[in-house]
Amino acid sequence: MKKGSRSRFSGIVLFGLVVTLSLMMVPALSEARDIKVGIIDAYTGPAAVFANDALNGFKLAVDEINKKGILGGKIEYTTRDTKFKVDIGLNMAKELVMNEKVDILVGTINSGVALAVSDAVAKQEKIPFIVWISKSENITGKNGHRYVFSTADNTAQGGKVGAVALAKKPYKNYWIAGDDYAYGHDIADSVWKNLKALKPDVEKKGESWWKLGEPDLVPYLTSIVAAKPDCVIFCTGGQSMANVLKAVKTTGMIDKIPVYIHTATDHAVLKPLGAEAPEGVMGTMHYHFYYPDIPENKAFVEAFEKAYKEPPGFPAFNGYVTGLLISEGFKKAGAIDREKFIDALEGMKIATPIGKLEMRACDHQMVYPMFLGTTKKAPGKDYAISSNIVTLPGEEILPTCEEIKKARAQ
Amino acid sequence: MRKQYFSKSLWVCVVLLVALLLAPPILPRFYTYILAVIFVTALLAMSLNMVVGHGGMFQFHHCVFYGVGAYTFALTVTKAGWPMWLCFVVSPLAAALAGFVIGWFCVRLTSLYFGMLQISLGSLLWAIAFRWYSLTKGDDGIHSIPVPGFAATTSSAYYFILFSFILCVVVMYLIYKSPFGVTLQATRDNPARCSAVGINVRRHQLMAIVIATFFAGVAGVLFVVLEKSVFPDLLFWVLSLEIFIMCLLGGWFTFAGPILGAAITVALRTFAGIYTEYWTLILGVLLILLIFFLPEGAMGFFLQKFEKGRDKETAPPRGQHAES
Amino acid sequence: METAHAFTVAAMGSQFFVGLSRAMILFVVTAGLSFVLGVLRVPNIAHGSLYMIGAFCAFSLSKLFGGGSTGFWLGLILSPLIVALVSLIAERALFCHLYKREHLMLLLFTFALSLILGDLVKLVWGAEYRSIMAPKVLQGFVSLFGSSFPRYNLFLLIIGPLVAFGLWFFTNKTKLGKIARAAAVDREMVGAVGINVSWVFAFAFVFGCFFAGLGGALVAPTGSIALGMDHHLIIEAFLIVTIGGLGNMWGAMVGSLIFGLTQAFGVLFWPQFAIVFPYTAVVIVLLIWPRGILKSVW
Repeated sequence: MKKGSRSRFSGIVLFGLVVTLSLMMVPALSEARDIKVGIIDAYTGPAAVFANDALNGFKLAVDEINKKGILGGKIEYTTRDTKFKVDIGLNMAKELVMNEKVDILVGTINSGVALAVSDAVAKQEKIPFIVWISKSENITGKNGHRYVFSTADNTAQGGKVGAVALAKKPYKNYWIAGDDYAYGHDIADSVWKNLKALKPDVEKKGESWWKLGEPDLVPYLTSIVAAKPDCVIFCTGGQSMANVLKAVKTTGMIDKIPVYIHTATDHAVLKPLGAEAPEGVMGTMHYHFYYPDIPENKAFVEAFEKAYKEPPGFPAFNGYVTGLLISEGFKKAGAIDREKFIDALEGMKIATPIGKLEMRACDHQMVYPMFLGTTKKAPGKDYAISSNIVTLPGEEILPTCEEIKKARAQ
Repeated sequence: MRKQYFSKSLWVCVVLLVALLLAPPILPRFYTYILAVIFVTALLAMSLNMVVGHGGMFQFHHCVFYGVGAYTFALTVTKAGWPMWLCFVVSPLAAALAGFVIGWFCVRLTSLYFGMLQISLGSLLWAIAFRWYSLTKGDDGIHSIPVPGFAATTSSAYYFILFSFILCVVVMYLIYKSPFGVTLQATRDNPARCSAVGINVRRHQLMAIVIATFFAGVAGVLFVVLEKSVFPDLLFWVLSLEIFIMCLLGGWFTFAGPILGAAITVALRTFAGIYTEYWTLILGVLLILLIFFLPEGAMGFFLQKFEKGRDKETAPPRGQHAES
Repeated sequence: METAHAFTVAAMGSQFFVGLSRAMILFVVTAGLSFVLGVLRVPNIAHGSLYMIGAFCAFSLSKLFGGGSTGFWLGLILSPLIVALVSLIAERALFCHLYKREHLMLLLFTFALSLILGDLVKLVWGAEYRSIMAPKVLQGFVSLFGSSFPRYNLFLLIIGPLVAFGLWFFTNKTKLGKIARAAAVDREMVGAVGINVSWVFAFAFVFGCFFAGLGGALVAPTGSIALGMDHHLIIEAFLIVTIGGLGNMWGAMVGSLIFGLTQAFGVLFWPQFAIVFPYTAVVIVLLIWPRGILKSVW
């Protein structure tokens, strides 16, 4: 290209860029009085599969609600990708609140993002924020406040359930291993604290922590097997679950040492492994699409499979519950008013696919039961499911309101 | 001709400044917020460019110092309970100290080795922030950090950040034009010749690193003032790579190039993100277009247009190393 | 103390081989990166994305051919070729026009390419986790030092040296390889003797990316195949290539061994702090050998 025409071309390109950028900066207009929901989540990266699942569950609820309409309008939503990063999450949440002018915020899987947005956006801007996958107990515990809610299970619950399950077993020497980040340590501390309380003679033989997303877990597991503990507690988040389940099989750990992992029995985790998923892994989960086998759950699963060709995982369930809460909350509030919405949600009981569940008033935490089970290949299907399921009711496993109050006062 | 050039650029600066000062009352709050984000990021990118563009070093983990500044501010305010002005002063100094320590090891190496050693040392610092839960709360982060009343609202934070940004840029420009700055660029272009005439190249480079990391620390403090939160992501190598790319995008051999690089990246990320979750794809495509059609970087392109009347002989050939 | 077990010879022996097999995968990936770095003198940030594409292609090919053993072997052979093709397209269409430019521009290009490829993977394969199984003959484990050593890792222990031998043979005994090595050291001279340097670069880039794809295909059965794989490996790969000596393939082997064994033994003795091992290793190496352990090509 000749120099002159090249610089002219560059000029055009730059002009085009500037025009495009300016057009993008036209602020979003929001005139219609539908309820606007802003969703932030990690739609890129290894956590994306869970974020998509939650969005699908939410969409299902919204489609059903919009058939009848609510407060004379509909529920509309818009999503933003946080890319699993806290600074982007904050930017996007602020964009939704200040620019898009949403009525309510919803999200996300990353605990760091959830905590940052809860404090910097929900509390500051006085907008309700419903956290739907992140499991940090600090969201409704230590860092909880009026403007944040959780429709997810949390590590306090997970820990207690794991402890109840393991206290019944004769194991004495434990090894704790997991992803080296807040969730991993939270669930480890929670399980261990509760287990020690229930069975004081348990001993921790050792701990192994690998970087989040570590692809090769074989060296860790072989060294744990060499240590010969009675049982291993894995504290892994969604990203490493499939790696751990594969590794316990390839290193032969599953044949020698019993293994417990919170959320091991989740469908999103077991499905990609198909028929090769390890059997006999103890796991806990608050939702299975095949249990409890009640009509409400069956109806939900059928509708979900029709829309998305896949059975729902726990994020989809959480997303669906969130949709129901938003609809029931605004209905009860009678107007699109944030404060009235919050008051309406406190203590509200709604009909979910697994029964009537409560949004606890003292800490804004959804009270979920927990299902403890063991992985086993589903007869006639090409994936594994949870078997021998034992149910623990929500009220028994959540921290009490007094404990929450004490934690928040610090 | 020369006088014309100077007053032209001066007028542009004045107009820009007036526009920026008038932004908060005119623009919607969100745009004020995004402008503030751009200034914080631009300051960080400018501080990196001091080392990369002017000094020619492969500073691959610059945001460690940004994070150190931010965390120091957060911890001194929330845990140590020191008076606010002291926290403001101590935080960039802590960043500069980290810069000195890490820099001292790195200046012994050259090119990629410098960069990789820095990534490793910096990542060790990141691991401390990430794992020392009792001090830093790990990846839960520290939130609701109190900031002084004069910077508490979005608008007032914007003015505070704008003022700090301009002050820092002016100081950086003075350093760039000073004998120290000129020598630094000489060490970038021909380190052998510089040592031959008696300049201690390593000492110069280390000083440049300390100054640059000081400003990175300032950027970190400004970040906390704006967002009132800190988290370990601020020290992670991915952010360092992004800032490095901003410098390249804007044109690392110009003085103000990184500002444009930061502005483009932040604006694109925010506004493209409204329409699609594939905005990294768009950023990638945009970068490729820029590489091909704006080889001098975005800022270089503008300056070329500007410098049409300038004497071409005095301007050194861009990006080429002087022959010895 | 909980590390008492660590000192049994059996445990250490077993960990040694585990670390070795990890090093082999790292070597396959970093050899490619090192080759590109040596000849083109630019760190290829898109290397991680190509590795990820290799893993996803292995998955798709495996599914295409029935999911069993044949699927795996065909995936192993074809994925690197597909990745090489992708890199060839990127190189001939875009990259080659930039060779005369400033080095940092080439770096910027590889970064932009990594962004584009990352999102393309999401577009093509979606966000779900994928998983493939090793072929039946490589499943299960052998008994080594009294503990179980996965058969697949044994396979890696064989593949690694094969790849190393293949690379050595290629760069030392074939004409093309020798030309590439020469171009790494003195590209002007190579051009002066009449060889088209641009084609040498194209070849080097594609060759290096082939190994990224091979690494991805090899790693696929060992864990989940998911978005974000590119980021997890890329920083380790760069650190290895640097400590080994820029552009030096044996350096990549040395670096990989250091990383693999540090990881394996570190995990045995201090498993709580595994995230710092690679960085600590690099700091120690670079403080003792400031220009990498083996000679760098430039």
